[in-house]
Amino acid sequence: MDINDQQLDMLREMGNIGASHAATSLSQMLMSEIEMTVPEAVVIDISDVNDVFSEEIAAMVVFEIQGEIQPAGYIVYHVPKLSAIRLTNTMLGSTDEDRELNELDESAIIEIGNIMISHFLDATAELLGVVMLPSPPMMTINMALAAFENILAQVAVDINEIILFKTELKSNDNDISSTIIMLPEEATLQEILRLLNNLITPEI
Amino acid sequence: MDKKNTSGSQGSNVGIGDFKTGNTQISSIGLGSCVAFILYDRKQKTGGLAHVMLPESNGRSERPAKFADTAVPHLIHEMEKSGSSRQNLSAYLVGGASMFQQFKGNLDIGKRNVIALKHCLDEHHIYLESEDIGGTSGRSVLFYPEDGGKICIRRADGKCYDL
Repeated sequence: MDINDQQLDMLREMGNIGASHAATSLSQMLMSEIEMTVPEAVVIDISDVNDVFSEEIAAMVVFEIQGEIQPAGYIVYHVPKLSAIRLTNTMLGSTDEDRELNELDESAIIEIGNIMISHFLDATAELLGVVMLPSPPMMTINMALAAFENILAQVAVDINEIILFKTELKSNDNDISSTIIMLPEEATLQEILRLLNNLITPEI
Repeated sequence: MDKKNTSGSQGSNVGIGDFKTGNTQISSIGLGSCVAFILYDRKQKTGGLAHVMLPESNGRSERPAKFADTAVPHLIHEMEKSGSSRQNLSAYLVGGASMFQQFKGNLDIGKRNVIALKHCLDEHHIYLESEDIGGTSGRSVLFYPEDGGKICIRRADGKCYDL
């Protein structure tokens, strides 16, 4: 994939703005401080996706990015199983961690993901000056890698390298860790880079 | 340049769109809509696994294991290169799940992958010995050619079994 370090930096900054807004909304929902890692923007070969996702069971809430740029790609809210249980426990005031995820957990996690990703995309879209909206969420509790394969199969027909944005959000109070991953389509990526470039290059 | 051309993967795990042949353990973790296409040579106790992501290559040739219609002839060819005869090969399919019920559009890719692979196996006169496909659970598969072609499956819902 033809992308230089400066472009990767711009993409990281964009991810940073989106993720900060998502982190703020999570912080309000959990009423606790959220620690956010510096967003990564990585170019990765499809055969190495198992370096990013494992076969560990997780709740995966997936959104298609809709709006002016079509097809734009996908954004995923990934919560490992134990964190997912703690996440809903925190919201519902329960402490039982030794259980399976139930329908109530699923609804709660979909809703949390929905709110966070909406904030993420709002902030990114505002920065770029385009409309970007999340599709209705799709959710599975499954091996994270297996769920991600399904999304990858939509995006990587013609390409063998993808670019991923990844930010980890942590609540140390509740020992909850989750990750936001954005997988833009190749054309979207070029459009995002063009828009970002316009932002930093003053018009004559 | 495509760095992974036809070399196959290093290590035991076969990543998406990749393949591996040999007689020691071959694995593929976290199969969702992808399908592990496995060939086992009963006589030589060797085997191969391709991690297939999509049904049709539509003329793309740089990563044969990525597409069902190129993975089948490619893996057969790789097995023949290491001394297998076609009549000793049996095939196994694992994966092809549907992870998101709500996915719209052309989206039962798992099912389409399985159909395409079966069609290609017929075309190449390879017998499909057994399969563990469909459903909504991710799967990891471990294949032991030198151990009589034993295939172990671990599913996202916690179930483990031999194929």
